[in-house]
Amino acid sequence: MKISYHWLKDYCDHSLSVNELSEGLTNAGLVVDASTPLGDDFCLDVEVTSNRPDCLGILGIAREVSVIVRDKLLIPGVEYPTNTENIESETTVVNEEKELCPRYTARIIKGITIGPSPEWLQKRLRVLGLRPVNNVVDITNYVLMESGQPLHAFDFDKLEGKRIIVRRAANGETLEAIDGTKCTFTSDVLVIADTKRPVAIAGIMGGKGTEVTETTKNIFLESAFFEPRNVRRSSRKLGIKSDSSFRFERHVDPECVDWASRRAAKMIQEIAGGQILEGAIDLNSIQLKETHVTLRTPKLTSLLGIHLEKNEMRDILERLCFTIISEEDDRLEVCVPSFRGDVYREIDLIEEIARIHGYESIPATSNIGVKLNPENRFDSVVEKVKSLLYGMGYNEVITDSIVDNKQDLHTGLWTDMNGIRITNPIRHDQDQLRKTIILNLLKVKKHNQNHGTEKTSIYELSKIYLGKENGAPPDERVCLSILCEDGFLPLKGVIEVILHRLNINLMLAPHPFQSDLFNPGKSAKLQLGGKIFGYVGEVSGELMHNYDFRSTPCIAELDFELLVNMATLENSYHKTSSFPTIVRDLAVIADEAITWAEIKGSIDTLKMDYLEEIEFFDLYRSKQIGQGKKSIAFRLIFRANDRTLRNDEVDVCQDEILKTLENSLNIRLRS
Amino acid sequence: MMQERLVALRSRAKDDLAKAKTLNEIEYVRVHYLGRKGAIKEIMKAIPSLPPEEKSMMGKMANQLKLEISDEVEGAKKRFSPSSDSSTDKTPRLKNNAQDAKGSFDLSLPGKRQPYGHIHPITQTINEIKSIFSKLGFAVEYGPELEQEYYNFDALNVPPDHPSREDFDTFYLDNKLLLRSQTSTVQIRTMKKRRPPIRMIAPGKVYRPDTVDARHASMFHQIEGLLVDEGVSFQDLKYALTSFSKIYFGQDIKMRFRPSFFPFTEPSAEVDISCSICNAKGCRVCSHSGWVEVLGAGMVDPNVFEAVGYDAEKYTGFAFGMGVERLTMLRYGIDDIRLFFENDLRFLSQF
Repeated sequence: MKISYHWLKDYCDHSLSVNELSEGLTNAGLVVDASTPLGDDFCLDVEVTSNRPDCLGILGIAREVSVIVRDKLLIPGVEYPTNTENIESETTVVNEEKELCPRYTARIIKGITIGPSPEWLQKRLRVLGLRPVNNVVDITNYVLMESGQPLHAFDFDKLEGKRIIVRRAANGETLEAIDGTKCTFTSDVLVIADTKRPVAIAGIMGGKGTEVTETTKNIFLESAFFEPRNVRRSSRKLGIKSDSSFRFERHVDPECVDWASRRAAKMIQEIAGGQILEGAIDLNSIQLKETHVTLRTPKLTSLLGIHLEKNEMRDILERLCFTIISEEDDRLEVCVPSFRGDVYREIDLIEEIARIHGYESIPATSNIGVKLNPENRFDSVVEKVKSLLYGMGYNEVITDSIVDNKQDLHTGLWTDMNGIRITNPIRHDQDQLRKTIILNLLKVKKHNQNHGTEKTSIYELSKIYLGKENGAPPDERVCLSILCEDGFLPLKGVIEVILHRLNINLMLAPHPFQSDLFNPGKSAKLQLGGKIFGYVGEVSGELMHNYDFRSTPCIAELDFELLVNMATLENSYHKTSSFPTIVRDLAVIADEAITWAEIKGSIDTLKMDYLEEIEFFDLYRSKQIGQGKKSIAFRLIFRANDRTLRNDEVDVCQDEILKTLENSLNIRLRS
Repeated sequence: MMQERLVALRSRAKDDLAKAKTLNEIEYVRVHYLGRKGAIKEIMKAIPSLPPEEKSMMGKMANQLKLEISDEVEGAKKRFSPSSDSSTDKTPRLKNNAQDAKGSFDLSLPGKRQPYGHIHPITQTINEIKSIFSKLGFAVEYGPELEQEYYNFDALNVPPDHPSREDFDTFYLDNKLLLRSQTSTVQIRTMKKRRPPIRMIAPGKVYRPDTVDARHASMFHQIEGLLVDEGVSFQDLKYALTSFSKIYFGQDIKMRFRPSFFPFTEPSAEVDISCSICNAKGCRVCSHSGWVEVLGAGMVDPNVFEAVGYDAEKYTGFAFGMGVERLTMLRYGIDDIRLFFENDLRFLSQF
């Protein structure tokens, strides 16, 4: 809301400088965003919150200033001489939509002379950024800016049948608005019509066909209250915004409708000449009830934490134009003025007093004290995992939850259902919630590759969104997705480190898995404790081609909530043995089909007391070994807790291991 | 006893050889273990005095060890010999000491940096704020992003015809839910779950159908805070938020609480801090006002208490909310919100 510094003084003759005024208004809740010098005046841009439509006119802001400076508010008089001819003999108004137009008033001014408005008036409009048009149009704009009540002047002689009908538009009816927009209506739009056609979009803009021009002699002046929601809908739908629609959307003061009409009529008569017909049309179905609110003074004291005298409270409320109806020891009963529809509860009065008294005068001291709060388990696991990934060289990324619907073209990992759709996306090709983070990580790699970064070790720990059958609530699942540039086993190693550090002592169980996201031979569905834990694999050739990658990344996507559930955050201590180890390195020959998991599993079943660790270290194929065979090398580390092991003891163990491997898996020691 | 000594000797010898950087050093190790007065000789000397059943075994082991160490010594020497088979030798060739001593090692060569990662700046900001409020006893709560209108609007005292509910201000989904447009939803969920006293903060993602530009993203992060108890006043609100701001932005900042409007708080306030970019002299960041807005706050509206079934006569409280991207941008002077979600490593690695 723009206001003029000098114009404001018409209503409250304060002596504040522009800066003092800005600060005073800001501290009272009307933030002055900027003040711009324009000639000998200043334009102040005041941010008016949605609960204060009364401040969408300069008079409303002047009322606040009068409270701040403790001075009188000067409201212009609206008395004028009238013609003997009565408006009712000239025109009628029919209101078919009392819900959408609870109040409609009209005045007629005859015999006016259109011309430019006086310089002082033009200047004031220019300060607010309005372009002067002619005296009548300028006056309606002037009163709009002054009071916050929008007005519209029709050229009375151009109204077909000399009558106005407030009605819904018929489907397909059209109107060219004053700004040149050609509108085609649907029946939810409220229009002002004459007997033949719509002549204005109610509360939004007048029509070109009936606008005031140089030849206009007689004016039909409309001032009304239109229902805010409908004005907002129509304005959005038609794509037309105006100073009028802005105010109607935010609720105008029903009491001011007639005052603004009188004010404009009076100014037109004074400036453009002519005669105001006697009387006015006023179709008013608003039943104004007085709002009475009781303020308990101790409540105010306890809520704000400061002590105010009852007199101070009363004084502030009265300066804000509230009327004190009755007063007792610790309470005030107050009547709220019609323009303050936002005030109807005790808390609203407390806020009024607080903001005028000033938030700055409330001290920032407290006895809320210290309180211990329990550790959040989820956060602790997140922190632990992120610090591990940080140490292993991974960069955290945050990507958009909203993605394009191409994700449905890929194999679903966590669900077979399509992505959850946004019904009102900003862009029609971005209308789904992601059901995997993998594609987003690939896009991040692509971006970085395009900007000269070849190696993109990244992860995201965040939600995916999975729809459920039959309207069941959707599943928001936190996943950890990692993109690794070092190959499959290093990525698997990252996952193993995380499991290890969360004290999850379960083996990852990889199952071969087919998806167009991954290379068929090098991808797996991971299980942990019998539950699906996630997916890991080398990115498929097709995706490599689509993204034009120069290196092959591997990606994992893991169910983070499963990790949180299984993690043990408290580490346990085992005394370390002070005796030396005996190390045996073995190379064995196995059939191609034999997996490491089988070899290790087979050794594990022996449950050997002194076998501390089994470390895989080499896999080797050659002609000498033979087709369909491979050589696997691993290290066995033996140690006892209570003594130094003897070589012959270890020999026995080693023999047993080799025998087991031979019997169960047909594995032989490489000679 | 003897056997332990042999095992220990073996691992020490291997260790010493691995550390040897010159031929001279290897020779020194050889003499130390295998020489005439070397460690093995010492052990051999002790064997005759052992009981007969151990004598032969220990003799065998000591001999085996001697052979093993001498093999290792030969192996180690090969690392320095030009004729060694480079296909099996993975140890890099090392310069000898003499050359290093002449100053031919360039100490100014860059260090070999170990890889390390980065935590996203948004996460860092959230963590910092969580830790500050944790000291004031605020526990962390989370809530769903796919939310019901009830939690996003109704229970927060947002009127049925409020513009924020319309589809140009809130994303709606094909499953009757919406994408939450504010983390205030978690206030309601927490109060419905628990009785006062409550101190919580709720960080998380929120969504709004804003056209994406330097200042707007359709997804961003907020942190909501709530304290409810008996006798909580506006003073407490000022205390908590002043404490927070001074820790987060610095002790020297100036603060301003000014009246504002939110449906779910009353009285409501917006909190400004003096602009740190220009020292409150006025710049583009603060629109030449010297102040930047950092927080929205207020006393919990009695209608909100009613919605969650708290007695508004008995309990009072305050709530606040802040935009994580905004705070991060202010802190570092970042002028484009899109950088946070583009994830360029040249950007991320600065934090």
